Amino acid sequence: MIRFDNVCFSFPQGEVLKNVNFCLNDGQFIGILGPNGGGKSTFLKLALGLLKPTSGTVERKEEKIAYISQSTSLGDISFPATVEEIVYLGLVDNKVSFSYLKNRKRVEETLKELCIYDIRKRLISELSGGQLQKVKIAKALVSSPSLLVLDEPDIGMDILSHQHLLDVISSLHEKKKGILFVSHHPEDLKNADEIFFIEDGAMITYQEEKERGHIHVDL
Amino acid sequence: MLIYSMLTYRFMVVALIVAILLGIALPLVGSLAVYKRLSTSGEALAHSSLAGIVIGLVSGLNTLAMSIVSCIVAFLIIELLRKRFHKYAELTITVVLAVSIALIGILSGYTNTNNFQSYLFGSILLIEDSLLYVTIALVVLILLFNFIFFPQIFSSYYSESESKVSGIKVPVINFIQGVLLSLTIAIGQKVVGLFVVSSMIILPTAISLQLKKGYLFTTISSVVFSVSSMVIGLVISYYLNIKPGASILLVAVSFLFMTLSYSIIRSRIYRKRRD
Repeated sequence: MIRFDNVCFSFPQGEVLKNVNFCLNDGQFIGILGPNGGGKSTFLKLALGLLKPTSGTVERKEEKIAYISQSTSLGDISFPATVEEIVYLGLVDNKVSFSYLKNRKRVEETLKELCIYDIRKRLISELSGGQLQKVKIAKALVSSPSLLVLDEPDIGMDILSHQHLLDVISSLHEKKKGILFVSHHPEDLKNADEIFFIEDGAMITYQEEKERGHIHVDL
Repeated sequence: MLIYSMLTYRFMVVALIVAILLGIALPLVGSLAVYKRLSTSGEALAHSSLAGIVIGLVSGLNTLAMSIVSCIVAFLIIELLRKRFHKYAELTITVVLAVSIALIGILSGYTNTNNFQSYLFGSILLIEDSLLYVTIALVVLILLFNFIFFPQIFSSYYSESESKVSGIKVPVINFIQGVLLSLTIAIGQKVVGLFVVSSMIILPTAISLQLKKGYLFTTISSVVFSVSSMVIGLVISYYLNIKPGASILLVAVSFLFMTLSYSIIRSRIYRKRRD
């Protein structure tokens, strides 16, 4: 569960989010749309606890959150790690653990699920954009999270991988896992329980945005 | 037989033990500087530790303690400024370097510069027992921390934001590793000198990165390369009667050339196969 109460956030350069009220209940699938620079990423960072609100409160029930960041974060791609090592990182939290063998089995299962078992020994710097994104998804799913947060994960993916991602998301939704999906494509959010629009720092429902005449896609 | 004659001298045995210990410690803590893209921070920390030594010499306080304190202070300043400069993080190093050099420049006028020289090149053949024990304690600490928290350290090097979401205390991990790095630089400087310590933080990982393998392999092989460079360098210096620091660096750079050539040949073959 994530809950925003009158949340405002500003950088020194100006206000990014104004009076946002929002609630994601357990097992809910919520989609977020909006133009670039509208405040979507800031909203996600607040939801994940990576940023603190300037005013208002963000409440988060303790749960296992997995986060898939935008695919084009160049910093980590050159990191010397193999596919299986990165997926293994999905199981690491703040607790000290030596259950290596148990974890190994879980990592192998996830690699097979996402059809990347054959490239498990490859370095992440040698992968294509689509393969890399699958690795990130595997890393997020390996810990069986109760809430999955996705930040425009489909950039650089081919049509097949993109469809595969959507299938993974709907199967998680069926298993009553929470999903918070920020996307550029309204079609990706067909199965969402609710869709919000973030524009100029304000959050409005999809219906309101449609009534304003900005979008014409029916969902 | 050659090695055996070397080991009949107690100071050489102590030097060899300290070289192995530092060889283990340097790449493990140095990885922080490499993966956070602050490779030259070793340089800045080593200079700030030298500034600490000069403060110690001028004020009459313990030089090792002063160099450790100023090294940790410098690390904290780098960490603090790194967040402010964000993508230009390496600028923070220049700031710390500038302050340290200014301090050294001013204060060295008030002390005996002969004494000061030994800190630039180290004195691995003149190690006191107390320094040996401090080094052993430090390396045990580094090994324990890096073994127990291996997954958390790996995760925070890979992605700070994703680690924070998983509940890993990234600032705490960075801080402890940074303090261990500062301690290693302060002690290593006394043994092998400023120039060697600031290079040996980075070189072993740079050598291993050319092998293009995963994180675990890169980490273990960097320790192997580092210990080998230290030991081979020390043995060469004994027989050729040259400065140990210089021969250690030369051995490390030869390793780098070897792995670099391997990496170039490997990618050529790979490309040819694809064509």
